Amino acid sequence: MEKQEEYFTERLASKGFVTTEQHNEIKQYRQLGIFSLNSELLFFVYVSVLLFTSGVGIFVYKNIDSIGHLAILSANFVLMLLCFYFSFKKAKGFSKEEVLFDNPMYDYLVLTGSILACIFIGYVQYQFAVFGKDYGLVSLFSAFLCFGVAYYFDNKSVLSIAITALATFIGITITPQTLLQNEVYSNPQLSYYGLALGAVLILIMEYTIREKFKKHFHIVYATFALNLIGICCIAGLLERYWYLFIFIMVLAFYYFYKVSHQILSTFLLVLTLLYGYVGFNIFLGRIIGLLDTPNIIELIIYLLPFYVFGSIYLFIKCIRKFNNEKHAGIQ
Amino acid sequence: MQAYSKEKLENGLLINEAKRLFKMKFISKEQLNGVIYELPKLQSSNIFIRFGFFLLGLFLFSSVAGFLALLFGNLVTTHYEVLIYLYAMIGLVGSEVFAKNLYHGHGLDDAFVLAWQATFCIAIGISFESSTVVYAVLFVIALFSYIRYVNTISALLSCIGLVGFFFTLITDYKIISTIFLPFIGLTLAIFIYAFYKRMHLKSNYFIYDNALQLIKIFSLVLGYASVNYMVVRELSESLMGVVVTKGHDIPLAFLFYGLTFLIPLMYIYFGLQRKDRIFLTIGLLTLGYSFFTIRFYYSLMPLETALVLAGLLLFAISFFSIKKLQNKETGITFKPDRDSNSNLLLNAQALIINSQISTKPVINESKMPFGGGGFSGGGSGESF
Repeated sequence: MEKQEEYFTERLASKGFVTTEQHNEIKQYRQLGIFSLNSELLFFVYVSVLLFTSGVGIFVYKNIDSIGHLAILSANFVLMLLCFYFSFKKAKGFSKEEVLFDNPMYDYLVLTGSILACIFIGYVQYQFAVFGKDYGLVSLFSAFLCFGVAYYFDNKSVLSIAITALATFIGITITPQTLLQNEVYSNPQLSYYGLALGAVLILIMEYTIREKFKKHFHIVYATFALNLIGICCIAGLLERYWYLFIFIMVLAFYYFYKVSHQILSTFLLVLTLLYGYVGFNIFLGRIIGLLDTPNIIELIIYLLPFYVFGSIYLFIKCIRKFNNEKHAGIQ
Repeated sequence: MQAYSKEKLENGLLINEAKRLFKMKFISKEQLNGVIYELPKLQSSNIFIRFGFFLLGLFLFSSVAGFLALLFGNLVTTHYEVLIYLYAMIGLVGSEVFAKNLYHGHGLDDAFVLAWQATFCIAIGISFESSTVVYAVLFVIALFSYIRYVNTISALLSCIGLVGFFFTLITDYKIISTIFLPFIGLTLAIFIYAFYKRMHLKSNYFIYDNALQLIKIFSLVLGYASVNYMVVRELSESLMGVVVTKGHDIPLAFLFYGLTFLIPLMYIYFGLQRKDRIFLTIGLLTLGYSFFTIRFYYSLMPLETALVLAGLLLFAISFFSIKKLQNKETGITFKPDRDSNSNLLLNAQALIINSQISTKPVINESKMPFGGGGFSGGGSGESF
């Protein structure tokens, strides 16, 4: 790879795009032979946290009725306290801006503490039923705790756990695995709850951006809100009162289209277009279903290539416009 | 032979390099703009957009296929494979059209390049009813697409075709005893790696380098997989009918046990020594799989203990490595590189964390595990 990069830099320099001083500077930097293991090692830490907490989770669950459960519970609690104790010691305190630990390892300590806390809360509810019969409250409580931790320590992973817990409270699982197979599809009522939560997340995101209150969290909120609303709208379009969801879908689509242009996020734009296109096709399908003309299927198959071709043309234009804006926006 | 002008392909690589230099803060925005606007280039898109257009391209291809099926459906009832050959032709023509219009790495062109290969292989499969022939054809046409359309994934398909060809020759036609299968795999891996070595670093072939990296990854994974104990054992059980009982293991078991761990360690060593990220990453992943292999057959301890201990051990290793590398300025270091993209990684971590843990409460009546989540695989980094 090294040699290749040098070759291209040389080509750029020979074409006059890179000045000689810059070229020398680049050469000098490459001479250092820097091979950064930063992301690899941090990823290791991340995996180790997941392994450890998964182990603890199973451990607690397996011993739930045995004699040692109090010991396990206390061990879990003490570990959690230790994690938070060290994190608090090193934390620079709360700020509206992005605050980073000097050592990124502490981010993972915070994460471990939060996951252990969630396990602890779940266990306490199981054993002592502190929230009574309402099991949803456990998730709500976990969510509030995680929101607090996420904002204080500036931790996106914990924020993501908090939002997931909030969705669990209303009865929806939002994880990458459940995108295609979700309880929303079989339980129409959930899609209303999901839309409400999506709206709340959008409001928080708007506040986050406008007030510059942990502004870098907006991408997490946006991703969750978009996926939640997208899934719920698609589920809704397949239901009996589907015409209601057309308006919501159009509104949401317009909104997220604007947002992705505003924050110049390609990821968000592609997701928006994907959900929008799927939704639009379902809408067309329902309209065609209403027409109830014989031999319509054959006609559709004949027309389909032209329709797809047309939509590709529009997508290309749309993406080109976005890319120009994005390129102009890079500083 | 190439469908694109070499100059434009190279310009694309020059633009990538300029973008990297801009990110590393060596050149200014104006200089980057100069590179982007002055060099004639091909239409390509970033990874998310490429994926979106890839889906759309497949949609377009299948809609055209449906159109033709309806049009000719009545004519070709007896020889329906003719229709599939026709699809392959359309895929090929589509690929040419996209190449003429300077689409490369855009998503649409990828969809058609892959679609024509897939449909052609299906058609061959129907005509010849032999997987060996299909693999041989796949090898040839994927190699052709790789060279002509400079398509990265075709390079991978070509490798799969080559390996599949030899594999089926041995398993179906028994040209040599299946007992040699692991060694044939290893030889092929070395052969493919040697090919990579020859082509890589020649400035003539720099436009193919993305694909060459993929070939390298393939050869490393193949080399490991062909001597991995689990792969060898499962294959010998299904192909040769070897029965593994207590006290009896597969032939040469000690060799495969050894190689299962030796090869990943070798990869990691090479990776660090030559500062080669691909070697390092593949080494780590395969090492993780090696631990999984051993655990699959011999569970020395219950799952939760294994998870906790593995977590602690991994943490200790990374903690001490970070401590050691923290203040180094040259060579192998913990300091982020100037062009590193740690933000992307952190965002990805934040968004996938919820797939690993579950905040669902445990309800007394139904015994549902919590905390454990959908954890997949032991060892390290299955989801790298």
